[in-house]
Formats: sequence, structure tokens, C-alpha cells
Amino acid sequence: MAVRHFEAEVRREPGAAVLDLGGEINGFAQEALDAAYAEAEKGNPDSILLNFEGVDYINSTGIALIVGLLARARAAKRDLSACGLSEHYVEIFNITRLSDFVSVFPDEKSALDESVAG
Amino acid sequence: MNAPRDGTRRTLAELSVPSEPGNERRAMEEVAGTVEGLGLPGRTLDRLKTAVAEATMNAMEHGNRYREEAPVLIEVSATDAELSVKITDEGTGPRAFDPQTPDLEAKLDGAQTPRGWGLFLIKSMVDEMNVTGDERHHTVELILHLNGRAEGGATWP
Repeated sequence: MAVRHFEAEVRREPGAAVLDLGGEINGFAQEALDAAYAEAEKGNPDSILLNFEGVDYINSTGIALIVGLLARARAAKRDLSACGLSEHYVEIFNITRLSDFVSVFPDEKSALDESVAG
Repeated sequence: MNAPRDGTRRTLAELSVPSEPGNERRAMEEVAGTVEGLGLPGRTLDRLKTAVAEATMNAMEHGNRYREEAPVLIEVSATDAELSVKITDEGTGPRAFDPQTPDLEAKLDGAQTPRGWGLFLIKSMVDEMNVTGDERHHTVELILHLNGRAEGGATWP
């Protein structure tokens, strides 16, 4: 099994800062995820989109990290949305109720279209 | 590998995973490989993998306290009716699962720690979860009911 370490990059798109996530979101990802999210917050965007297309594993610690990002977004009155989740992780977003607070889109285009329209 | 055709329980694999951070992924992939021939639907397999990973992570962290010399033992077995995955660590005393049911709003308000999702995820992913233990071990058993779950080539009745 090839382990893919966590990686994150920030892009600016109309309507949102996009956080491209890749690899595994587990306890090892905390520092890089927090740093990337802080980078995405610069310029005070109305919305931050977490793009999970490159993510192949999220464990319970990773869920906790995402909860932490959501808390930061809510404190800043900023929308947090997600795209590119596999069917399995959409289910996990549903059962943890993350999807009650994070809008989940199938792909980046639909998420950004919604951000621009909103 | 095919499931047993009668009610007899058969051991499909006995695995040993060193207690090192990140090894829960190795455990889940090895279990997934073991049950590959059972014809589980992809969604069921993904759920099993998450449950195995979370139970293994808990065993490594709380049971074995990440002592490399204390492996997590995983036994995979099946009857015609169910698949069982037993995950055993060398912990003593009460099982170290966070007993608090996670409440996302409480976590967002700071009333609960952001962590504490493991047990909740396990219970959500499998049909049954049983916890047993003695003075030297903890065992978490994950059970999937197989009836009606097979797809494409499953061989049990």
C-alpha cells in the first residue's frame, strides 16, 4: 500500500479561496492543514472551498481537524464548503452532521458556481 | 477467497500489526485484501475498512500506547451468515473509548473536544460491535451480516 502524505495548496478563484487537499487527512496532517487554511483566510474571502479530490483517506482525527476548520470559519462568519468527496466520505459527512454546516458539492465547478451566485 | 458454504466458522486470516502511528491504514488494507473474494459491495467494503481502521487506531493508541513491541492482532473469520473481524490489543482495565456521543454543535461551541469520533464511526459502519476483555487484553469484534449483501460472484447460500 502506497502511503500518500498529506498536502495542501491554496488557489484564489472568483467567489472563493480553494484549498486543494491531497493524500491522507489524519493526525499527521494537522500542521500543514492549519497552515494552508490560514493562507486561504488571507484577504478575508467570503467563502473557502475544501477540494477533497486528491484525498484518499480520512480518519476520525482528520474529521476532528475538519471540525476545527469549521469552527474557525463560523467564528469568522465565513462559508465553508466541500467538493470532490468520495461517496463513502459524503456518507461520513452526513452521519457526523458535518454536511449540515458544510455545503457539499460533487465537483469544484458546481461549488464555485454556487459561491458566485450566492 | 470464498465464504464458507455452511454454518461453520472459518478463520480467513490472522494478522499482526505493529503499534505505530498510521498503521491503521495497513490494517484496513490487509483486511480488505482478505475479504476480497467475498463479493462485498463497494459501499459495504468501504464501511468495513473505516471500522477496522478506527478500531485498530484505538487499539494502538489507547490499548498498546504505541509500544512497537505490542502488536495489534486481527482475526478475520466468517460463517455463511456473518463476517467477523476481531481486533485485540494488550490493554488492561476498561476499554478506552470516549463514552460521550459526539455532538457536532457542542464541538463547534467548545463544549466537547473536536475529537472523539472513533467509536461513533465504528458503530455507524458495522452491524454489530462487541467489546470483551480480561486482565491482559481488549478485543473489539466487528460484525457484518452477510445475507443479501453479496454481489457479483459471492458463493454462500
